[in-house]
Amino acid sequence: MQAAHDHAAHAHGHDAHAHHPSGIMRWVQTTNHKDIGTLYLIFSLTMFFIGGILAFGIRAELFQPGLQFWRPDFFNELTTMHGLIMVFGAIMPAFVGFANWQIPMMIGAPDMAFARMNNWSFWLLPPAALLLITSFFVPGGAPAAGWTIYAPLSTQMGPGMDLGIFALHIMGASSIMGSINIVTTILNMRAPGMTLMKMPLFVWTWLITAYLLIAVMPVLAGAITMVLTDRHFGTNFFNAAGGGDPVMFQHIFWFFGHPEVYIMILPAFGIVSQVIPAFARKPLFGYASMVYATSSIAILSFIVWAHHMFTTGMPAAGQLFFMFSTMLIAVPTGVKVFNWIATMWKGSMTFETPMLFAVGFILVFSMGGFTGLILAITPVDIQLQDTYYVVAHFHYVLVAGSLFAIFAGTYFWLPKWTGHMYDETLGKWHFWLSLVFFNVTFFPMHFLGLAGMPRRIPDYAMQFADFNMIASIGAFGFGLSQLLFVLGVVKCARGGGVKAPDKPWEGADTLEWTLSSPPPYHSFETPPVVK
Amino acid sequence: MAAEQKSNASPLQVIKAVFWSFLGIRRRAEYEKDAVSLKPAQVIIAGIIGAIVLVLSLVTLVHFIIS
Repeated sequence: MQAAHDHAAHAHGHDAHAHHPSGIMRWVQTTNHKDIGTLYLIFSLTMFFIGGILAFGIRAELFQPGLQFWRPDFFNELTTMHGLIMVFGAIMPAFVGFANWQIPMMIGAPDMAFARMNNWSFWLLPPAALLLITSFFVPGGAPAAGWTIYAPLSTQMGPGMDLGIFALHIMGASSIMGSINIVTTILNMRAPGMTLMKMPLFVWTWLITAYLLIAVMPVLAGAITMVLTDRHFGTNFFNAAGGGDPVMFQHIFWFFGHPEVYIMILPAFGIVSQVIPAFARKPLFGYASMVYATSSIAILSFIVWAHHMFTTGMPAAGQLFFMFSTMLIAVPTGVKVFNWIATMWKGSMTFETPMLFAVGFILVFSMGGFTGLILAITPVDIQLQDTYYVVAHFHYVLVAGSLFAIFAGTYFWLPKWTGHMYDETLGKWHFWLSLVFFNVTFFPMHFLGLAGMPRRIPDYAMQFADFNMIASIGAFGFGLSQLLFVLGVVKCARGGGVKAPDKPWEGADTLEWTLSSPPPYHSFETPPVVK
Repeated sequence: MAAEQKSNASPLQVIKAVFWSFLGIRRRAEYEKDAVSLKPAQVIIAGIIGAIVLVLSLVTLVHFIIS
């Protein structure tokens, strides 16, 4: 089979897509899943650094009590835009980039199902990002209502909020199209013999994530459209004086927002479930239960949204319901963590960078999961609502969860994508510095939150000074460590380092490793047969 | 792709599969039986019914606690 692939790699003569334009137009007009995957990943990395610079601004201000650098309202813009950019600009597009690169190769398909729509879903993103960033320069500045853009704050702000709303609309449309593409590709383009239950877990988690996206992105669109009409067209959806209800915004937002949390973590679970078996040299323990647990998490994610709103006032029955349903999510999540550990149990493990990030993921993500369980307890949450404890919690799941998995996946597949091995020493430095600085940044935030420091404020009382200083030092260290990642990726992409074999990881057994490194422009022109 | 013959699964088997999926675990032999006999439509319908049952049982539990 390999000979056939090599042949395909060299003989593009009869391949219509091989006549692609060169230079910038190659990227603008591309319908190739690998090119589009690369575009998504580059976009995501760019936004990651823009969001990171905003985080630098936040941590610089919080280094000491008192106002150092920013006006308080600009500080609110920083926190809001950091959140929006990281969630919608960095994490989500990164996973779509992985999906584009990997799903066709992992299921033995030549490309994504809707190649032109794929191009369109990507090219919607740069204009959306531009709108979002431009909002800093309009009168009144960028959105400053928090990434949750709660009414009535969001109904009162300047035109920056309109730009933010349009940006979210466009990014939502992009996500929906991307998801339709992914679902169609997975359901219709699998190689002969690749039944659903033989699919690699990364493909499974993306299938479920895509359904979640299709289900909830329209809900977000609805919520922000209502904000828009409240702002400009005289409606009163969220205006109490006009008979509306600002709390309704929170219900609608979190009906989107909680599944969104799983949208950002399920593909991470998928990546970790590919990396760990490869480096433990054992098949994934409990494959079926992993699939079932993922589906279960997806279903449960729709019935827990109001745990974000315990302090808005709700009857005891509502509090208990959302507390119980939230705690139930710990069961399938626990099953997953157990399965990863059982996969490693008695495996012949080696700790290359992808594995380090995957093991780091399990450790630190579990901590974020546990603090989530603590926050699920209504009376505790009422104390900790909007404190730094919550900030610590969701950075443990989003940075140490999603981001670490993105790093694991990048190092894991970079040799396949570029045809060159990454610099292992650099990768290990990147991991250890990231892990240490991540914890230096976010662990003290638990203490700050327990002591009552509220989030989204530029100034704080003296008793919070020490931990904030530690957190700020950690944040700068974490941010600067990411330059090592860029260095490693750029070196690899420019063709530095050792040439990668087709299968650089001996324990990896999915279809993409049967292709050459880098793979041919069209992965499987003749579908492989899966036994 | 759809090489396997889909025989009809009994409603009880569908319910059992969905129940175990909510817990997130499944015996391998049982799962292999599911994989050949369950149709996606059956699983989706049973999943939705299962979610409704879960919500109703939580509501009932909550009702008992606060009454």
